[in-house]
Amino acid sequence: MGIGEVLSKERFVNGLKNLSKLRAKVSHGSIMTFSALILILLTAFVIRMMPVKWEIQSGSIHLSEFDPYFQFRFTQYIVNNGFISWNWPSPGWNDTQRWYPWGMLVAKQGYPGLPFTTAFLYKIVAALGVNIDLMTFCAVIPPIMGMLASLAIYFLGKDIGGKTVGLFAALFLALSPSFLQRTALGFFDDETIGILALIIFLILFLRAIDEDKPQSSSMMYAIGSGLALGYFSAGWGAAYYPIDATALFVLVLILLKRYSQRLLLSYGLTFGIGMFIAMNVPKLSPTYLATAPILAVAGVFVLLCVYEISRVLTTMKLKFLFIAAFLALLIGGFAVFWQLGYMQEIAGKFWSVVNPFARTVSPLTESVAEHRISAWGSIYYEFGIGIIFFITGFFFVLRNLNNRNLFLLILGLTSLYFASSMVRLFVLLAPIFSLLGAIGIVGILKPFITLFKEPPKITTKKKYSLDYVGREFSGMTILLIFLILMTNFAFAPQTGGMPKVYRQAYTPITITTGSLPIVPSEPVREWIDMLDYTRKLGASTVVVSWWDYGYWLTVLGNVTTLCDNATKNGTQIENVGFIFIANETQSIKMLREYRAEYILVFTTIDTNGNWAGSGDEGKWPWMVRISGKGQARLMNSGFMDPSNPWGDTLEDAAKFGNQTLGSDGKDLNKDGTISQDELIANPRGQNTTIYKLMVYARNRWIETHKGGSPPQEPEYFKEAFIAGLSLKPEEAGKYGNIIPLVALYKIQYPTS
Amino acid sequence: MFPKAPDLHKPNKPLVPNGLGIIYVLASATYLFLLHYFQPDSPALVLAVCILFGGFMGLLDDWMDLRWRYKAFFPLIATIPLITLATRLELRTYITIPFLGTIYFGDFYYFIIIPLIVIITTNTVNQLGGLNGLETICPGIILAGLIFLSGSDATLLLFPFTVWVVLAFFNFQGKIFVGNTGSFAIGITLASFAIISDFKTSLLISLLPYIFNSSLILLTYFLFRTKAAVTFDGEKLSSSHRRSLITVVTHNRRLTERQVVAIISLIVAIFTSLAVLENLFLT
Repeated sequence: MGIGEVLSKERFVNGLKNLSKLRAKVSHGSIMTFSALILILLTAFVIRMMPVKWEIQSGSIHLSEFDPYFQFRFTQYIVNNGFISWNWPSPGWNDTQRWYPWGMLVAKQGYPGLPFTTAFLYKIVAALGVNIDLMTFCAVIPPIMGMLASLAIYFLGKDIGGKTVGLFAALFLALSPSFLQRTALGFFDDETIGILALIIFLILFLRAIDEDKPQSSSMMYAIGSGLALGYFSAGWGAAYYPIDATALFVLVLILLKRYSQRLLLSYGLTFGIGMFIAMNVPKLSPTYLATAPILAVAGVFVLLCVYEISRVLTTMKLKFLFIAAFLALLIGGFAVFWQLGYMQEIAGKFWSVVNPFARTVSPLTESVAEHRISAWGSIYYEFGIGIIFFITGFFFVLRNLNNRNLFLLILGLTSLYFASSMVRLFVLLAPIFSLLGAIGIVGILKPFITLFKEPPKITTKKKYSLDYVGREFSGMTILLIFLILMTNFAFAPQTGGMPKVYRQAYTPITITTGSLPIVPSEPVREWIDMLDYTRKLGASTVVVSWWDYGYWLTVLGNVTTLCDNATKNGTQIENVGFIFIANETQSIKMLREYRAEYILVFTTIDTNGNWAGSGDEGKWPWMVRISGKGQARLMNSGFMDPSNPWGDTLEDAAKFGNQTLGSDGKDLNKDGTISQDELIANPRGQNTTIYKLMVYARNRWIETHKGGSPPQEPEYFKEAFIAGLSLKPEEAGKYGNIIPLVALYKIQYPTS
Repeated sequence: MFPKAPDLHKPNKPLVPNGLGIIYVLASATYLFLLHYFQPDSPALVLAVCILFGGFMGLLDDWMDLRWRYKAFFPLIATIPLITLATRLELRTYITIPFLGTIYFGDFYYFIIIPLIVIITTNTVNQLGGLNGLETICPGIILAGLIFLSGSDATLLLFPFTVWVVLAFFNFQGKIFVGNTGSFAIGITLASFAIISDFKTSLLISLLPYIFNSSLILLTYFLFRTKAAVTFDGEKLSSSHRRSLITVVTHNRRLTERQVVAIISLIVAIFTSLAVLENLFLT
């Protein structure tokens, strides 16, 4: 065979043809779907990575807010000590650098889901030879999980209403403000895996009860959804929500006479596996199964069994006997459990969500912003006029109430209720809102899209039919919907232009803004500097601060603290509040109890030396009210002066100054407002320890930059380091003209 | 092209393109988006959202024939942006009515008065129609009055108003209908513009003919279970009862369609001028 023959034109052409056969057969539509999905996921990821701008400037990547530092510390422990040692031998790891002198049993405080996942992934990445800092790795996990959640909701939407619904749902979830905030760079907290687990659970559970699927695959899906539910329970305290929503859904199915054996089987498997995993989580422990929300699950399961048995029983007499026996058992069992005290109260937090009127008025829970009650109006701020798609989504769901849509309806109504009860739970509403919104949009657009693609054939007879609508009209309708969507994603009236989601995305990480509510042009270095300083003090040094800064000091500053965001030990927080609010002599007594060496305050001032309100000068009313809760105890143990006590109400806080700490406002010129020169000193407020510590830091800054004599130091507290002291007034512009001062004092105990 | 509807008051009942109000909605929204770009602080976006919402609602109505009870309360959604805007701008929370004095509402203003204004305006405007030009010219007159009063806020509506005038012209000639899309959109425009630029009393006075019409329709419906209807004899309109503004005008009187529209427009114009005069001289 000559070379000419080998390279003949025919062979060449045939070869090419064969080559083209290798190409997978992909339709135009699926390419479009695929690329749209890729674009959405890319957007989801990139927009969550936006805070990295400030992180690169600050030199290293940090975590947002406060709680993620706890998760990081937990993860770090697992990475260093393996997957068992945190809980075994019991009671596991006692973190002695927190809540001194008691320490904190981490296994009882945190859910292991996120730390386990991250440690596992980190080990894989490390085994592959990638050398990456653990904190950076943890910071990137939320954007990745956020992206995966968008992908997961695509599949859920696809199951429910086809690819288009999936795509819209993925887009909505990717750009949902509250979900974005909880999965932005550095927001390394339970929600990051929680929402993903929730969506996966929904997909699998809905497939498990699908009557069209073969029995064997139903079993597999049920096992899968049980695992997902277990993962959710091990990862996030909000697991009550999917658990009870599902139980409610199944109950409604029973009431609608849609019972089937498959339902019993899938429900039993899912919850059997899910609850088995949950009770092995140290924080939940087997008593979890006896809490009211979980008992509801068992109740529904019993109902399912009763239904099944009564189907098997044929004669009326047997049925009657069976039901009577069942009722007797139920009442008897309830009475026994009640006597034995197994009917636990639902955890206060969750009950307050279920019933907004039963909210505990604890200043401690109230002072945590994310537990605040949200106003109904915030739904509009969150979702904009896109609410109309949510509502039309309900309409379309109601029109076709199959099992999936029924579940969606229940989820939509309940999550809407929960979101309006607690700000933090907006993140639960986000995926459901995305789904219902997508269903609403697709439902409205469908007829128009069909018309747009192929206008009805005009026959002479139907020419003047009323139904005849041309492409142009359909096009305009589609444009109208598009414009409404634009007000969601491009021009948002509720925030005066820029949609909330981008503002939320383009916000630096809390510590990099120095805890200021601003978007600075450069990272704010003061807190980072302070934590660099405390790292030299040694891990066993006890530093007292308000609990907001506890995690930063423990994790980044590597010192021992008295309290942090875990807000675990109410008494201890009252004591810390007391240290700050009492006068120096009283607080030094309390400090001695704790053998504290340093005390830290954070204050913000403007360039003229007036309080700016973002630091402890804004938090002191909470310190008064929280320490006031322990009034009786503090007086009995001889700390609080009985002749001058304070309680936990707003009026008690006002005793220390009704304008700012240490100053009362008096409207001298009767113009209805209090101006700077109408403030009069409040001696009680000015005598507090925190006032002295803040004023000293402020005056030191004024002395450094505006001249004047050095201020008088507090009696027992000597300046150790004040971060921000060197910040010149003309440089403050980059921080929005606010000067953050983080002041650390060494405590000098009196000899007596 | 556009869906067509028969023109009932013409000899052969010719088919006329319906639902052209969507042009008004799209044009206004685009214009207001642009305006927002040049004047970021203006309430352009809120107005845009309200108009878009009105159009959306009309579209649903044109397509699905919403029931009355839904239609009546659907505009409540459009009040959410207005309430948030009003709280942000801290608009005055009282209404001054001549000869009656000032009524202070406090926070109720946001949650009762704004929704009331929106619901009443949208629904009454939607109810007065059915004759060529009626549903376009009359709201146009009220809008003109509000624009005349509003001063600097007038830029918000200059272009939308022009578009509406063009639509009204063709509508009056019997060449197009604006449909519920247009009718709801213009109703919400009136309500939201009056709230944004704070001319509630003026709007209320201008709307009196509309309110009269709706009250008449609702009262006769609930009391006697009868509906208003005009008879068309191939040339002129007439009616045997007084159950709506149109039938009041044509009661035992044979008038052409254009005459009826002219008379009602005149009534609306009189009330609008009253509103303008009241605003200029009494407050």
